[in-house]
Amino acid sequence: MNPNSRSRCMLVCAAFIGLFSIFSFRLIYLQAIKHDEYAGLAAEKHVYKQIIYAERGMILDANKEVLAHNIPVETVVADATHLNSTQATVDLVSSELRIPSGELAEKLNSARRYIVIKRDVPAHTATALREKLRAGNLHGIYFEHDATRIYPNGSMLCHVIGFTDFDHHGIQGVEASMDEYLHGQDGYRFIEHNRAGQEIVPYRGQERAPRDGYQIHLTVDLGLQNIVENEIDAAMQQYSPQKATIILMRPQTGEILAMANRPHFDLNLRSEAKPDQMKNRAIIDMMEPGSTFKIVAAASALNERKMRPDSTIFCENGLWKFGGAALHDHRAFGYLTVRDILIKSSNIGAAKLALSVGEQKFYEYIRRFGFGERTGIELPGEINGLIRPPQSWSKISITRIPMGHEIGVTPLQMTVAMATIANGGKLIMPRIVKSVTAADGKTISSLSPMVLRQVISPEIAREIGDALRGVVSDAGTAAAAAVPGFTIAGKTGTAQKVNPRGGYEEGKYVVSFAGYLPAEHPEFVGLVVLDDAHTSKPELNYGGLVAGPIFARLAEKAARYLDLEPHEEIRKAIPVERVEKKPPTERVHKTASAERVALTNASHH
Amino acid sequence: MTAFLALAGLSYVYLTLQLYHLGERKKAAENELISLRTQNDIASAQIAALTSRSALQRRLKEGYLKMIPISEANIVRLTIPPRSPDEDTIQPVVNPSAAR
Repeated sequence: MNPNSRSRCMLVCAAFIGLFSIFSFRLIYLQAIKHDEYAGLAAEKHVYKQIIYAERGMILDANKEVLAHNIPVETVVADATHLNSTQATVDLVSSELRIPSGELAEKLNSARRYIVIKRDVPAHTATALREKLRAGNLHGIYFEHDATRIYPNGSMLCHVIGFTDFDHHGIQGVEASMDEYLHGQDGYRFIEHNRAGQEIVPYRGQERAPRDGYQIHLTVDLGLQNIVENEIDAAMQQYSPQKATIILMRPQTGEILAMANRPHFDLNLRSEAKPDQMKNRAIIDMMEPGSTFKIVAAASALNERKMRPDSTIFCENGLWKFGGAALHDHRAFGYLTVRDILIKSSNIGAAKLALSVGEQKFYEYIRRFGFGERTGIELPGEINGLIRPPQSWSKISITRIPMGHEIGVTPLQMTVAMATIANGGKLIMPRIVKSVTAADGKTISSLSPMVLRQVISPEIAREIGDALRGVVSDAGTAAAAAVPGFTIAGKTGTAQKVNPRGGYEEGKYVVSFAGYLPAEHPEFVGLVVLDDAHTSKPELNYGGLVAGPIFARLAEKAARYLDLEPHEEIRKAIPVERVEKKPPTERVHKTASAERVALTNASHH
Repeated sequence: MTAFLALAGLSYVYLTLQLYHLGERKKAAENELISLRTQNDIASAQIAALTSRSALQRRLKEGYLKMIPISEANIVRLTIPPRSPDEDTIQPVVNPSAAR
């Protein structure tokens, strides 16, 4: 080989070595140095994270009756860039899903890649559409698995259960307050698909199973709820009030057994509900409680040992001038015992009870009964109510607050206060959630009764309870609230309606009755509130005459449902058949008429 | 050696194909499971809706259901023994929650 050939050969070899060295370096650069970056880019093309949706937990009542459930549905979506025959697709989809073809055509002609055509499509409709699209060889329409919430009982317990939005997040009621437990945790799976978009199962990557939402068991008993719903409907029909609320609660544990409000709405037709119908008035509406609040004045005076139950107070013969303003009673009372002040509902007597303990102490008792702060029930949107501190009271506030004026309380706060009397002076936190369980029945959390404080001594609570028994007697203001066979303790309330623009609304009243049964060993505390009830005669619009009988009817049914044993002595005294009550006698008419004038005058202050 | 390599190669191809095949079967079984779960969920939702208190009451009002009172002959009445403070007594309630 001549030197020229050798040098050419070496040159070619060197060129090859150089070339392959470049290739090798490039290979090392791509495979080693840039490996992660390019592997990531490749994975983006073929690997994606598939979300495995968790199922939302059910809501059940105390007896495991289903209140909220899921039903599988599909969301029909479209990718406008994949459509091969827009007009044929519009014709088919609009007829199958019953949506206007013009509206659908407008959506599909937008050239967007993700168009939601219809949500909550039943599984059988989606299957039929899928098959017809396949038969017509129409592309660009896709189906996404989803679930929608159904509420088997419709409007029953609607304000407590609440509802969810499109993203399955609770936005009202227990659905919102317990969303963290109900929602569950979505799982995921990394999958790889081929060019046709089909999953390559052997190449599955990391996977995490979803955790379905927990089940929420409420304290509400649907049997009692049904009784309450029927009674509140009957009351709406009879008295056509603007608003109404009924609450039943077990005093020893704070369990809410039933809660109903009017107006209400159907949970399955929530999109048609008006905002006014969606309010849980038991916890977000303030009202002046009226005479039911006198239990606080009596409790404070007795607990502070300023009075004894048989201490007598001069009730000024029905008219008392204090702080430059007149305070009236509905009847001219002379000397009354503390017990009789509650039984006969004397405004002047209650005012003097509050005066005996003083402004600061009386305010402390109001707060100790739980007024002016949230009860802590597991429902969203609860308000504090309105209790002003003594520094901002007027000279006459100490005489008006004891009869339930100048303050704002929620119906639930009033129920809890009455439960405190029924419960030996212990203030219990009301509960609506009984327990949280997993789908397999394992208990995740079980809520036990929570005693917040001892507001008054058990003896004082018993003495007030004794006086409240007298309210539901012929001598009291709520004879119509009596239930044959049982002793009932309770208190009526009639408050003139507050005008949002100031002052009070003429001729409009909030009537209420709060009580418990049986008085000796209370099984439940109940509150009935009707706002602006319309009675046949205006002078009959009183707590004892309107709310009292409603309480009596529902208490009788509830006692039968709970299988409570009638009190033996009363059972002997009263025939087994319920004695039909006579219509209000002349005494009631006269009293009512007088009380109307007195309250109207009193409310001007 | 060549035969071994050939056999190993063929086995690799066969096993890879088997893997794909089993993957497809797994996917089909998963889809069937999802479908069955869906049907089950639909059925339980329908059961909940049809047996709900509201639905039953509606049917009762419409006359599809009828409630007949228990005849006297079918009621067994128990005499409650007199209570003594010194001994355990029978609670005259049938609902245990009422006795709490």
